[in-house]
Amino acid sequence: MKKVVCFIPFLLFYLLSFSQTNAVFSGGFESNAQWYLNDKGLKDEFNNPTAHPDEPIRSNNYLYLNYKYKNWSFGIQGESYEQNALLNMNPEYNGTNVATYFIQYKTEKIDITAGYFYEQFGSGLLLRSWEDRALGINNALRGGRLIFKPLKFITLKSVYGQQRTGYDVADSQIYGQDIEFELKELFKFQTSDLTLGFSYVGRDEKVDLSDQKFNNLTNAFAGRINFTHNSFYASTEMNYKSKDAVVQVNNQVNNRLVKPGSALLINTGYSKKGFGIDATFRRLENMSFFSERGAKGNNFNDKIMNFIPSLTKQQHYNLANIYVYQAQPSVFLADQDLVKAGEIGGQIDIFYDVKKGTALGGKNGMKIAFNASNWNALSGTFYIFNPQDYDTDFFGFGKRYYTDFSVEITKKWNNKWQSAFSYINQYYNKKMVEGTDGVIHTNILAAEATYKFTATKSLRLVGEHMWADYDKKNWACSTAEFNANSKYSIYVTDLYNYGNDLEYQRNHYYNFGGAFRKKTTRIALSYGRQRGGLVCVGGVCRNVPESSGVSLSLNTSF
Amino acid sequence: MIKFITCAFFIVFNLKAQSNLPDVTLANLEGKKISLAKDFSEQDKLYVLSFWATWCTPCINELDEINDLQNDWKKEVNFEVLAISIDDSRTQKRVKPLTSGKEWDFTILLDSNQDLKRALSIVNIPYTIVVKNNKIVHVQNGYVPGNELELLKKLKLLI
Repeated sequence: MKKVVCFIPFLLFYLLSFSQTNAVFSGGFESNAQWYLNDKGLKDEFNNPTAHPDEPIRSNNYLYLNYKYKNWSFGIQGESYEQNALLNMNPEYNGTNVATYFIQYKTEKIDITAGYFYEQFGSGLLLRSWEDRALGINNALRGGRLIFKPLKFITLKSVYGQQRTGYDVADSQIYGQDIEFELKELFKFQTSDLTLGFSYVGRDEKVDLSDQKFNNLTNAFAGRINFTHNSFYASTEMNYKSKDAVVQVNNQVNNRLVKPGSALLINTGYSKKGFGIDATFRRLENMSFFSERGAKGNNFNDKIMNFIPSLTKQQHYNLANIYVYQAQPSVFLADQDLVKAGEIGGQIDIFYDVKKGTALGGKNGMKIAFNASNWNALSGTFYIFNPQDYDTDFFGFGKRYYTDFSVEITKKWNNKWQSAFSYINQYYNKKMVEGTDGVIHTNILAAEATYKFTATKSLRLVGEHMWADYDKKNWACSTAEFNANSKYSIYVTDLYNYGNDLEYQRNHYYNFGGAFRKKTTRIALSYGRQRGGLVCVGGVCRNVPESSGVSLSLNTSF
Repeated sequence: MIKFITCAFFIVFNLKAQSNLPDVTLANLEGKKISLAKDFSEQDKLYVLSFWATWCTPCINELDEINDLQNDWKKEVNFEVLAISIDDSRTQKRVKPLTSGKEWDFTILLDSNQDLKRALSIVNIPYTIVVKNNKIVHVQNGYVPGNELELLKKLKLLI
């Protein structure tokens, strides 16, 4: 198989790219390798030192090749997880093989793809197939897609396929239809924009239950509208998923609870030069959607069909990423103190630019960003036993999951100095969000300064502190980053959990490393400790264990 | 594994690098669909495509700097900056108020499901490419303070 991985694409692309004159060849290679080491100094909650896994050298590698000739494109991606995938990745990612491939024909009116493809309808609440290598997500559909523009203002999409899982596909059929109208084109609006869209997604998965109380085919529908008028804009999306078995524990598909699902998303905002405000409201009820019902509750984001990100600000400071909210679309009826059928809440963002030349703005101006969010469980009546059921209120707020607010101020003092300051306050209900215990209140302060020595030589220093009243309690963190020029950078960082109640858990999570980049290539090498917990990208998270070791990453495109 | 990597390198170094901009359709902030190849094809004009996201601080720093300097540069070079947001639906709604709040004078495009990012095999952002007559003529991978001045020098050489 390895030979096939190498030679088929090689021969194909090599021969084609030299035999045709206006053919274009492109691609990319990415490798993330880790050498896990034993670390006596890094203790877990039971006072055990960190031990490396059986296969201590692991790597995730991706090679993508694309060939384009006139209206045709061909693509193939090979993946290699050797000696195994990085820790806590989907175990289905194993060995070396061809992962995805496609052939596409595209003109202005029509776009046909056969093979693996990525697609998203609306905001993705019903269907999104995408790739996120850091999280180990690749839920591309294998089948066919037709995008057709019969008129300038209409886009029609039809998809059919089976969803990728590991090197295989899930045991179900996915059908999708989407239509979008750009009414500005039709009505010749001058200062307004209006788009309308409708989607259908069907998932057909055979389940053999005696006296089955739900259909194998689950139908889901959505409508969306997007309106802009000068500086004002608003959009909404409504989704409905037909009655289906509610899966509360991984691989337990049964008739106990059969319910429909729904989602409502409303967004509005106003923006003009120097000022922007944006507000989002979302209500989700029983909206988890997997290509195989039993996959619900798996730890690897495997077989997810839709994209339900947590709508909170994605913070970039280390300590602000310890208690991260995760969206709660699912039903979980454990006991009267822990009942979930979804979430309701919202967030607001304000961006303001203090003008140059004012008292506060100084010579170079000042930028202020404010964000606040609040998320609660749905309120209603819940029956845990005999039979299990629930009835939610439409605009009812149940127990609180999460609240946060943050202010970020960035100021450039002169050509040499720039600084940023952040304050973040969080309420994290660990019991409700993760199903464990406790509520954590945090206050986080972060300050950073960048000094430019010469044109591209600079030093960045960051200090962070978190006060937390429960769980692992207080943390401190500092980072120094030195950019020698546009090719070489080095950094050192340390997260210190000095406030932990358990003395042996007052760990330092230090890391140091460097990066080299030139043209399209980047190579980075680092040594240090990885804090256990959630690693989140775009509101989707992956749990990683504590580890210690050397990591090397390399990527290039051509 | 070794074979896979050897094979990857063999392919990488034996073939001529891509230079054409992929023809991907992206939406602007008003929801209008824009074709990269068709709508940004003025003869000999330089298009600076800067990939960014609302959660990427170095990206924002780079675009802030370019925004402050671009009017001066435009006196010497005919170019246009396309700030391509790779934000997904979690953070995409923040793009419009953020870019207005910062008074960015760029063409803002949304690569919602990262079709263009994938077509160009971009792994990390910030990532900036310069396109002339639909051909990629320069790549700047990453950003450190001061890179914007190197970019300007490069633009002057490319006209």
